Formats: sequence, C-alpha cells, structure tokens
Amino acid sequence: MYEIHQIKTLSEYVRTTVIDLHRIEKNLHMGSTLSCIEILTVLVSKYIRRSSDKLSRDWLILSKGHAAPALYVLLAEVGIIPREELVKIQSIDSILQGHPDISIPGVDMSTGSLGQGLSFAVGIATWIKFKGGYGRVYVIMGDGEQDEGQVWEAMTDAVRRGLDNLLVIIDVNDYQLDGKTSEVKPKHYMPLIWKAVGWEVFVCDGHDIISLINSIDNALSCGRPSVIFAKTVRGRGLKPIEGTELQRVE
Amino acid sequence: MIESMRDAVGMVLSELGSELGDLVVVTADVGRATRAYMFGKKYPSRYFNVGIAEQHLISFAAGLAAVGARPVVCAFSMFLMRAWEQIRNTVGRMNLNVKMVGTHAGFSDHADGSSHQSLEDIALMRTIHNISVVVPADVKDVLRSLPVIVKDVKGPVYYRVGRDYTPSITDNYDYEYELGKAYILEEGYDIAIMSAGPVLLESLIAAKELKRLGISVAVVNLINIKPIDEVLIESMARKCGRIITVEEHAIYGGIGSAVAEVVTQKYPVPMKFIGVVGYGKSAKNVKELWNYYGLNSEAIMKTSLELLKLDVNIDETN
Repeated sequence: MYEIHQIKTLSEYVRTTVIDLHRIEKNLHMGSTLSCIEILTVLVSKYIRRSSDKLSRDWLILSKGHAAPALYVLLAEVGIIPREELVKIQSIDSILQGHPDISIPGVDMSTGSLGQGLSFAVGIATWIKFKGGYGRVYVIMGDGEQDEGQVWEAMTDAVRRGLDNLLVIIDVNDYQLDGKTSEVKPKHYMPLIWKAVGWEVFVCDGHDIISLINSIDNALSCGRPSVIFAKTVRGRGLKPIEGTELQRVE
Repeated sequence: MIESMRDAVGMVLSELGSELGDLVVVTADVGRATRAYMFGKKYPSRYFNVGIAEQHLISFAAGLAAVGARPVVCAFSMFLMRAWEQIRNTVGRMNLNVKMVGTHAGFSDHADGSSHQSLEDIALMRTIHNISVVVPADVKDVLRSLPVIVKDVKGPVYYRVGRDYTPSITDNYDYEYELGKAYILEEGYDIAIMSAGPVLLESLIAAKELKRLGISVAVVNLINIKPIDEVLIESMARKCGRIITVEEHAIYGGIGSAVAEVVTQKYPVPMKFIGVVGYGKSAKNVKELWNYYGLNSEAIMKTSLELLKLDVNIDETN
C-alpha cells in the first residue's frame, strides 16, 4: 500500500514520463492526459484491487480513452506491462494502442468512443452485485463527455439498480475538443443533474492527492452510486499547453 | 400454441433460464413486444429493463458479458440499429458474448410504417467483424437455432425475427442447426433461389410453380447470413448456373450482396436480387407490403424466367 507522499511522488513520475513520451510521439492527447494524472495514480496505486476472480476484483474503466498514456505509464509502474513497451506507444508493433484496448494487460474495456464507459460499468457492477461479489467499478469520464446522450441513459439506470459498488470520477478540465466547455456547451449544471437523478455528488481538487482520497473514501462509504467532480487543469505541468485548448506541443 | 417467431424466442429463453444460471435477458421498454418478459416473469432477478435507451442497452449488456453473465438483448430490430456504433466499438471490438435479438424486422410491423420497418439491419450488422448474423425462417427454425446459439455459440450474434406473421415453412424439413451452414430445402438444377426469413415461403411457392413449367429450381434456406456457407453457395452456382436471392430487406448490402460476395469470387454466374428499394409504408398486413414491393412468388417466377434467357456458365463436371 502506498503512503500519501509516495502517491504524490508516483504521480509526479507519471507526469514526467508522459511528457517524455510526448517527445517521442507527438500524437498523444497531452492536454487530456495531464489533467487526470493524479486521479488515475490514486486509483491505481491505492484503490484498485487486482485478482483473477472477475467478481472480487475491481474494474477500472477509462471512459475518456484519449488519456491512455497516463494509464499505460501506471500499468508499467505497477508491473503489469513491460516498461520497455512505453517508448513504442502507438507503433505498429506495439501493444499500446492510441486508445485503451483489452488486448493490453490491465485494460478492462476498449474505449475511445466517448459515452460508453458508464453503461459498460453499470453492466459489470450489476452482475457483481447480483452474484454477491465485492468488486467495485471505477469509471473516469471527461467533462466534455457529459455531452453524450448515452451518459444520461446510463446514469439514470445506475441509480435505480442501487449500485453502491460504482464510482465515477469526472475530470473537469473545462475544455473539450473545440474549446472551452463554457463556450462549446456549458457543463456547470452537471453536478446538479447527477444529484437530482439520485447520485451522491462530491467535488474535489483533482490534482490534490489528499482531496482526491478524502472524496473517494467518502464516496465508497456512502452506500449509493457516487460521482466525484474533480476540478483539474488541462495540460497540467506542460507549460506551453497548460490551461489552454491545445492538446499537444507541435 | 406458439404463433410467431417472437413467441418462440420468449419461450426458448424462458426454457433455457433454468438450465443456464448465467443467462440474463435485457430489454429497452419492449419486454412485452419482444416477448422478453416471458423470461422476466420466471426469472425477475435476471431480467433487466433499462428503459427506452438502446445505446445503454448494448453497452450495459457488454458489461454484463465482460464480467461473466450470458446476456441476450431483446429489442426492435430498427431501434437496435441506433446502437450500431456501440455494437461495433464495444461488443464487436471486444468480441463479447452478447446475443442481440432484433424483433419486428422487415415488414413485420406492417401497421407502424416506415419508421419501424427494419430493412437495413442485415447490411449494418454484417459489416462488423466478429458478429454473426442469423435469420430464421419460422417458429421451427427458431426452436432449432436459438438454443444452439445461446448455449453453444461463443461471441456476438445478431438474431433477426419478425413480429407476428410467421407462416410454417420448415416444419417438414429435417436438419439440425449449425452456425455457418445453409440448408437445401428443395433440390433443383436450373436456378438456385437463396433466401431467409418468412419470404422463403414465396421462394418455395415459386419453385413449385416453376417445376410445373418444367423448370427445376433449388431453394436454399440461408439462415446463416454470416458466417455464410461458401461451400454450399459455390456448389449451387456450379450446379445451377443462375442464382436469385430473395430478402425482406434492402437490396443494398443484404442477403443478395452476401451471396454475390461468394459467387463473384468462387464461381461467377448470373444473379438477380429480389429485395426492397425504399423505406416501407403502413399496410393492413405483411402480405400487402410483400406484394407492393414485389416480394412474392409471381415476382420470383418472372425474374426466374428472365434469368433463364441468359447464357450461363454451368460446370458440367460437377
């Protein structure tokens, strides 16, 4: 089990490594990857329990699949994929696809098409609950992803199934592909909507390890499907793109 | 008494429920219409109704399959197509064991009209790698094939059935269902008619009429559109030298196209496609629509006679 300061160190390492990878491969979604480094690091290092039993292990669904590089660095760090593979990301002979793919060890869902991860997670959590398993399902979504109609279909279904083993973290980096979320399509009402539907809603600083851990602990003990709106900065740590709509350094 | 293919689907699923503890049925507010509720009444804890939400329906079922359940999705064929991208990106790409039953296919929902008449589903499903496409002809075909598909076939399958109109077609034919096989219902040497679903009836009627004119017509039940029986199709092309396909589906990308993909590459012979051009419309019954769109024995006979005027390439050694 990682201590808080170790998680912080690990997240800094993941950020540095992802930025290094960007020097090798330009076509990484850096803005969206760097905003969810701490979210992913906390989940992978502190919460995700691995097992060969599908019902007693935890599932991690990276619904905003374009943040794949951060996941890959963490999977290498915890020994699930070989470190040497990282520099080959997106090469024809690499297992590391541009978006998560279940052919990659440690990846629980092939994503890349936004809006489908939550539905998939609801299916998993429903069956685990039906079978009396103790696995939990964690979903990381983007704030732009909230535009997808399927998110509504899934969030309303999760509540009526009473899925207390389902936790969603939304990476609120305030940008989507075409610009600021406030300009493309406002999202400020999303916490109110999730709450009105019946979710337990938490808000935290998505770059602060302690803030994330507090919210996740509270969410896991509340006995309802929960969502954490984690406020983040797009491109955090890569100065030329930090806090902008830029996805990569050209 | 089972009167329709959807009734047969509901009955088969509710019978399999006791044997298969991992079988779950998922629907999108069409439990009654698809007969999914027949399973739901017996196994309420393994029956999930997600509301009018077809995209979620598919991805939710994919999640169930990923964690070890055996989901059968029941929805209107037309509205399942709304989730084509979910079927492609989540079910197909991960090759998950999700069985998708599309009911009310073709013109079977005659009253509701074009919005509900699914005429593109075979084309859409067939293009997705890993996904099998099965089109039973009648109740007997459902009873033969669905238990095999649910129990023994691993991986995603699209299973197309109609609403009510289900004439008996295959009751008097004896074959066991196997994924990937086509079945010769009538032998013949001049023309091979290949069809699937209830319109197979019109092909059999046409074959009988043509026989009286001295024309020998083979009729093939192409219940498996994908994987398709390439061996049988090639042998029919060699033997008959002319092929007609008949489908309650658009002529673009459906059964005709699937057969042509084999014929053109294995043993090219003249072909005619009988199918639908358009979106459908409301009518008082299915047969009215078949007649309106030229899916009847008369049209098949006329096309057969036209095709017979063509010079054909018959393999005499076969």
